[in-house]
Amino acid sequence: MSSVPDFKRKAAQYHLKRYGVGLLFMLPWIIGFCVFVAIPIGWSMFMSLHKVAVVPGGFKYTWLGLQNYRDAFLKDNVFPIELITYFQEMILMVPIIVIFALLISLLLNQQFPGRFVYRALFFLPVIFATGQVLSELFTQGAGDIPFLDQYNLEPVVRQYVGGELAKTVMEVLGRVVLILWYSGVQILIFIAGFQTISPSIYEAVRIDGASPWESFWKITLPASVPFISLNVLYTIIDLFTFPLNPVLKHIKDNMFKVDTGYGYASALAWIYFGFIFVLLALVTGLFSRSMRLKGGRP
Amino acid sequence: MMPKLRRLRTASPFQVILITLFTALALFMSLPIVFIFNHAFKPQNELFLFPPRFFVRHPTLHNFETLFLHASNATVPFTRYLFNSLIVVSLTLVSVVVVSTMAAYVLAKYQFHFKQLIMSLITLSLMFAPETVSIPRYLVINGIGLNNTYLGHILPALASPVAVFMLVGFISQIPSDLMEAARIDGAGHVGIFVRMILPLSVPAIATISILTFQGVWGDVETSTLFMQKETMRTLAFYVNSLLSGLQNNVAGQNMAAAAGLLIFIPNLIIFLLFQRRVLETMVHSGIK
Repeated sequence: MSSVPDFKRKAAQYHLKRYGVGLLFMLPWIIGFCVFVAIPIGWSMFMSLHKVAVVPGGFKYTWLGLQNYRDAFLKDNVFPIELITYFQEMILMVPIIVIFALLISLLLNQQFPGRFVYRALFFLPVIFATGQVLSELFTQGAGDIPFLDQYNLEPVVRQYVGGELAKTVMEVLGRVVLILWYSGVQILIFIAGFQTISPSIYEAVRIDGASPWESFWKITLPASVPFISLNVLYTIIDLFTFPLNPVLKHIKDNMFKVDTGYGYASALAWIYFGFIFVLLALVTGLFSRSMRLKGGRP
Repeated sequence: MMPKLRRLRTASPFQVILITLFTALALFMSLPIVFIFNHAFKPQNELFLFPPRFFVRHPTLHNFETLFLHASNATVPFTRYLFNSLIVVSLTLVSVVVVSTMAAYVLAKYQFHFKQLIMSLITLSLMFAPETVSIPRYLVINGIGLNNTYLGHILPALASPVAVFMLVGFISQIPSDLMEAARIDGAGHVGIFVRMILPLSVPAIATISILTFQGVWGDVETSTLFMQKETMRTLAFYVNSLLSGLQNNVAGQNMAAAAGLLIFIPNLIIFLLFQRRVLETMVHSGIK
């Protein structure tokens, strides 16, 4: 009789201990996260509902409700347009970057002399893609490619794509260099991912008579689905928090304007965030479903 | 040299095509680096050539000389900025790696309360551009009195969602059977973490080290917002203020070019240090 509750108590203790260990390992991160990420984000949510004015000795908050959010769409004549344009570009650029990275990393995964050097070269741009150097290069016009103007590609694109989309396509073409530069981390993630596929599997299918083409579709691609999803998410996030992007620039400009102020800028940031959130949720949903269908691997 | 040459001669046509392709692409990608290096050594008259020239004709060290002289005449010497940067970067790197690997390990392999909540919080906070929370962050830093301390540089970078996000993906690929085996052999939680998870996730750790290093090394936000004393600011801030002060200034362009190279070099070194580990195969590490 008494052994059953005893067992239950022991089980509860065991679980508590297990859970406790997990939480203990998490603790430093959680504290850091709360203080420097969660609280500031919450604060900016609070600010987005207010008109924030700087007065001597601190800030003055005036309750506005959702007025800031309404203004963003109804009064601001820059923000919605920039948001939509950037979104169009994104939807084109993300697949290009990820597919490009996948191809390059597949090739870099081959055996050939000096691949070590090439791997390093492809990652190098990431190093200076952050910060000063990049903006310097862009202002000097190193970011766009001359053949676009030289061969007058624009009418051709307009003819085949048409309408508003043609503008987006041109913008993306103009950023080919940026795409090349931005795939460094993704290539790295893919290469690291390929290492988790054991060579003996390839050997086995080769003995069974599969061509390299088949072994790519049947082994490499399915095994790298988690890494593709990781890369898609990483690329989206990377592009959206890219400091030179027009939407973020607009938000920053508004932050220091007297008539709009920090409250309005926070509201813009939250709208922007909402859009990214929807996009990421879609992507994550798609990938987790395809992974569940495949079964097995988490 | 000889075996290399022999290998080249025995390369298959496919490999030849691959190498040619990659050489072309790699040359294209390395243009900016070549530019930065050459730019820093150009004498004044070559800096303003039109059309601009990629390669330097008469390399000179004059640019660096001017930069150091300018810095030593200022109220805070150049070495002080360098020292600050080095301290901040090394401490941040170590603490970010330890904290995020610990967090990612339990997120990937343990069950505990609020795990789902934490995972979704990480993904959510990834999407938030750091610029937009800078003012609340300042208020928090000010509130706990971290202004003008090294901790003010380090702590904001500590809870890095990107690092945890990447590590969780990587660590969950490590088979649980390995950990199970270690547990049966009598390893504790800390033992498994230190003796198995850390060594096995070295490629991922190297990746996040590179990313963190770049982020911290080039970061001017903490110096601008949280540090009011000039002596606590970092090299990136100094170079940045130098550059923005010289936007339309002819005389300072050579200093800007030299400073650009100086800020770039450590990134390159860190990358070369870590990339071998990143790219090294995990075949022998016992996975599968």
